[in-house]
Amino acid sequence: MIVPKALPRRTFLRGLGTAAIGLPFLDAMAPALRASSVPGKAPVRMAFFYVPNGQIMDSWNPSYEGKFQELPRTLKALEPYKDDMLQIGNLTHNTGRALLDGAGDHGRCCGSYLTGIQVKKSLVEIKNGTSFDQIVANEIGKQTRFASLELGMEDARQAGDCDSGYSCAYTNNLAWRSEMQPMPPILDPRALFERLFGKGQPMTPEERLRQAKYRRSILDFVTEDTRKLESNLGPTDRRKMDEYLSSIREVERQIERAEKDNKNIDPHMDKPYGVPADFAEHFRMMSNMIAIAFQADQTRIVTFLMTREGSSRAYREIGISDGHHPCTHHRNQEDLMEKVRKINEYHVQQFAGFVEKMKSTKEGDSTLLDNSMLVYGAGLSDPNAHLHEDLPTIILGKGGNSFKTGRRLLARRETPMCNLFLTMMDRMGVPTDHFGDSTGRLAGLDMEGLDLG
Amino acid sequence: MTWNSKYLVLTAALLRPGLALADVDAAGFEKNVKPVLKNTCSGCHNATVMSGGVNLVPYMEASTVAEDRPSWDKILEKIESGEMPPKGIPRPSQAQVTALAKFIHGEFDKADALVKPDPGRVTARRLNRNEYKNTIRDLLALDFRADKDFPTDDSGYGFDNIGDILTISPVLMEKYMNAAETIASRAMGADPLPKKPLEVTYDKNRALRRLDFSTVEASHRVDFDGEYIVRFGFPGERATDAKPVKMNFLMDGHAIGTLDVETKPSKLVYFNPFSDGEMRVYLPEGDHVFRAAFLNDEFVKSVDPKDAYNDKKNKFIGSITFVGPFPSKVEKASRQKILICNPASGQACVEKIVANLAHHAYRRPVAKQEVASLLKFVAMAKSSGQSTEQGIQLALEAMLVSPAFLFRIERDPNPLDAQRAHRLTDPELATRLSYFLWSSMPDDELLTLAEAGKLKDPATLDAQVKRMMTDKKAGAFADNFAGQWLEIRNLDSITPDPQKFKAWTPQLKDEMRTETNMFFEHVLSENRPISEFIDAKYTFLNEDLAKFYGIAGVKGPDFRRVELTTDQRGGVLSQGSVLAVASYPSRTSPTIRGKYVLNNILGTVVPPPPPDTPMFDESKIGPEFSIRKQMEEHRNNATCASCHSKMDVLGFGLENYDAIGKWRTMDGKFPIDVGGTMPNGKTFQTPAEMRTILLAGMPQVSRCLIEKIMTFALGRGMQTYDNRSIDRINKTLAADGYRFQTLIFEVVHSLPFQSRRGETPVTKQVPTPPTKPKEIAAK
Repeated sequence: MIVPKALPRRTFLRGLGTAAIGLPFLDAMAPALRASSVPGKAPVRMAFFYVPNGQIMDSWNPSYEGKFQELPRTLKALEPYKDDMLQIGNLTHNTGRALLDGAGDHGRCCGSYLTGIQVKKSLVEIKNGTSFDQIVANEIGKQTRFASLELGMEDARQAGDCDSGYSCAYTNNLAWRSEMQPMPPILDPRALFERLFGKGQPMTPEERLRQAKYRRSILDFVTEDTRKLESNLGPTDRRKMDEYLSSIREVERQIERAEKDNKNIDPHMDKPYGVPADFAEHFRMMSNMIAIAFQADQTRIVTFLMTREGSSRAYREIGISDGHHPCTHHRNQEDLMEKVRKINEYHVQQFAGFVEKMKSTKEGDSTLLDNSMLVYGAGLSDPNAHLHEDLPTIILGKGGNSFKTGRRLLARRETPMCNLFLTMMDRMGVPTDHFGDSTGRLAGLDMEGLDLG
Repeated sequence: MTWNSKYLVLTAALLRPGLALADVDAAGFEKNVKPVLKNTCSGCHNATVMSGGVNLVPYMEASTVAEDRPSWDKILEKIESGEMPPKGIPRPSQAQVTALAKFIHGEFDKADALVKPDPGRVTARRLNRNEYKNTIRDLLALDFRADKDFPTDDSGYGFDNIGDILTISPVLMEKYMNAAETIASRAMGADPLPKKPLEVTYDKNRALRRLDFSTVEASHRVDFDGEYIVRFGFPGERATDAKPVKMNFLMDGHAIGTLDVETKPSKLVYFNPFSDGEMRVYLPEGDHVFRAAFLNDEFVKSVDPKDAYNDKKNKFIGSITFVGPFPSKVEKASRQKILICNPASGQACVEKIVANLAHHAYRRPVAKQEVASLLKFVAMAKSSGQSTEQGIQLALEAMLVSPAFLFRIERDPNPLDAQRAHRLTDPELATRLSYFLWSSMPDDELLTLAEAGKLKDPATLDAQVKRMMTDKKAGAFADNFAGQWLEIRNLDSITPDPQKFKAWTPQLKDEMRTETNMFFEHVLSENRPISEFIDAKYTFLNEDLAKFYGIAGVKGPDFRRVELTTDQRGGVLSQGSVLAVASYPSRTSPTIRGKYVLNNILGTVVPPPPPDTPMFDESKIGPEFSIRKQMEEHRNNATCASCHSKMDVLGFGLENYDAIGKWRTMDGKFPIDVGGTMPNGKTFQTPAEMRTILLAGMPQVSRCLIEKIMTFALGRGMQTYDNRSIDRINKTLAADGYRFQTLIFEVVHSLPFQSRRGETPVTKQVPTPPTKPKEIAAK
């Protein structure tokens, strides 16, 4: 009898030498291609899609619990995927609240969204915590070319104060590598493309190896230089140099991975020109590349800032010429609320396109979506009152075929968002007992009908 | 006392240990200060009422003047400006106020005289995107769009060149690595051009943007440095007597060629009338915005707008085609810069080339060992079968990711001694100077003088500063300093409602930026008084912008100085750029504009709303009431009023300008009411009168600008110990009629600009790469 043999992926790829591997080909080799810790099981991927300025909650939350019936208005575009979706109510980020720090809910809620840390209110002294995606990335990131990808759509604000005394670093970034070091998102589809698939003319594997060798010697050279320099510096300057060295080590790690994983990926798309003026097109390009990166196992962790928290983008493409943020201070005025609902719907519609792409991508016997956890959510619920409880949160995908999806679940009120993070860390293979202000794991995602808490 | 919680923290932080506190003259305090506090202030500002969250009872102790200067600064400011006591509370006599102010200022001066001068210290600064781009331009004669390639730099204190804030992430490091490869390869001309030229066309089907009937724009990526043929398609024809037009072709806002275009019928037989024209230009690699525009296109104004693209009635720009690249006949400027001798002539020349590059890239003399370790890269390339030139390219790559290039590092002889100040070395000073005024590396003249130790001579230093201020590279100072001080960098991210503001076009936006930049550069290079930022009798306009402002007699697209004959405009607060960035997309906001004036012109920090303040409800401004009436109603809330009364009066003073800066006398159906009363009781009826009042507060206005410029020049926030330098500069400035160049000279000569000190070791947490929480590590 012939038994399909699951080749270790790296061996397989190295054996191919100079051949460029197209993605459909990769998929055809499915059983051999699993780079998961469990042989034969696909790796779990995780992505966060953050939308700013909360949601109009009456159109986000349905009136029922349990199995999905008709989806609420904002989520309508996800109707075809509702069997792959979990909606979780009553998750709270207490660290987004004022806690004696006064105004600045936007700066705070985005800063603490993935870190569960009360960020320091300051324009110059940035202090947050390591975000949980980066803790996971640091553990499992070695297995992929990119430990994580940080992406976004809106250019960072360049001048002035971002929210009532909070540094723009808190609203420009989601992922934090350390308490002082945010990971700035890539906004330009072209830059993302080049990062994933290389610049212009493709290099031969020999050229790539030579490049890796050169890069490594250059990094050795600057590391040594920096060490010499450091010995005469004061503590603050030395800290800057340490930060520089730590970034160099990360680039070295990437070079190592690239050497081990010396192959070409055919993205099956044209190289993008730059940032498209059209929001939907911009999102489509960026999210397509996420799907490709997930599929080719270039990374397993993505954070995506749809637009900056507090964004005042005007959505003219759907007939709204007032800024998003000013509209969200609607004071229950129906016309303003309606504008915000339209923006909320518009964002979900874009996201639904990405879900479709993930669902239609086969991975072995299941789909890419089955093996993913795509969290779509906001750091505020009611933006008018700046509320930090019942944060809008949905998860698409089964997290490796373990979530029982198709339902709306209500956690106990004031359940820390960080509890969900703990559960997700389990699924990513990086179990831990405490993160941020967690009080325990968010149980019940993979069991039907159980009370969450 | 709590102005807000941040304030208390600040106070504690400023009291550095080891600073002597002056003994406050207790008798003088009892006589001059205490009665006012007791009789006028403490009725509301006591522990029970805590009006505005402020309790002044503890401040009836003389010693607080020395212990809590920031709070006393605040108290003094409120009393001197007449803002306190509020209406309805009996005021102290003018003599009492004067005596109080004189006493407190005297005590401050006494304390300052006791404090040892402290230059402070600047954290090693990473080059920001603009500095990187300019440095590459000056180092290698190469255009590299770092501003597009690198992530946005975070800003602090309003500027993006603050040492403490400029972090370096793995993504950025990767970009530096890639950029070094790209730049070195382009500089050496190493990338072979494609064998056949490529052709890319932009037309109405492919991404050609029509800005107006005479102007089109396309964003085009140039993949190789080289020469290109740019071909323009001109569909249509005009009347037989139509005059030829001149077409301007611009890349990223700079003209790179012109073309004369015949517009009358060609008499040739076309199914559709058409003609074309072309030019050959050198284009640098990168993403660029190209614009083609018919200049002074009078004819098109006579064409019915619906026929503007009718090829029987009009001739217009229909397409832009890029064909290329073709090898350039001239040797690349970057190669000329690098190859100062022929590397084939032997190792001595290779060493010379590498040493020269490192010298400039590191902006200081380089040691023999440094050159030796760079030469290893040349050897390495050769041993991998590559050429000497490729080796030099590799060494250049290494330099471009070295900390000596990426960071501006200043050495401390005693890094751990905070008490001993020392003068910067001359090359360090030269680097500070060039990044201050040019946002780039020092040029050869400056670097040579510095390395000869000549900058210690004040006359030589002044001559250099003068030269640099009038050099065209000082345009970077306008872009980066003024762009952030006046927030006009945000012009690119604002989105005025096109329905309401039909006049708003990308072109108008660029013109507004040009106006403000030229105005700023003029005040600098002509050494005008800085009061002209607040009010001036001239500005810089072209026809388009002049029309928008309603100013007649300006013809053509070129900007020139225009004398203003009415008082509608004058100074930056009347320029479209400033008015537009300080507005909402669909309407003006007196609050935003008022805050803008306080923050950027008067240097008054507006505290964030205290916790639990009800949202200031601007959105109810609707059809029934004017914006002013609505906002005044909301000011009835005392908590809001304390700040909004200050902000809004200034914002209303600018209500004659709509959300994109157009002059108006009506807002919808409501007449504009500009008039207001300042906290000190002075009143005004027009924007011009408000400007006059602002000018009268000159020492405060100039102090604000000095602080901003110092922050930008030093790359750190201002501290209390900087007051001595700031006050000194302000006095010299006042004595000299507030001339802008004097301000720059004084900043350059100030203690913090020329000196630094070590720092007391503090046990701060060193950022480490993320680690698993202990629980996992233990597992």
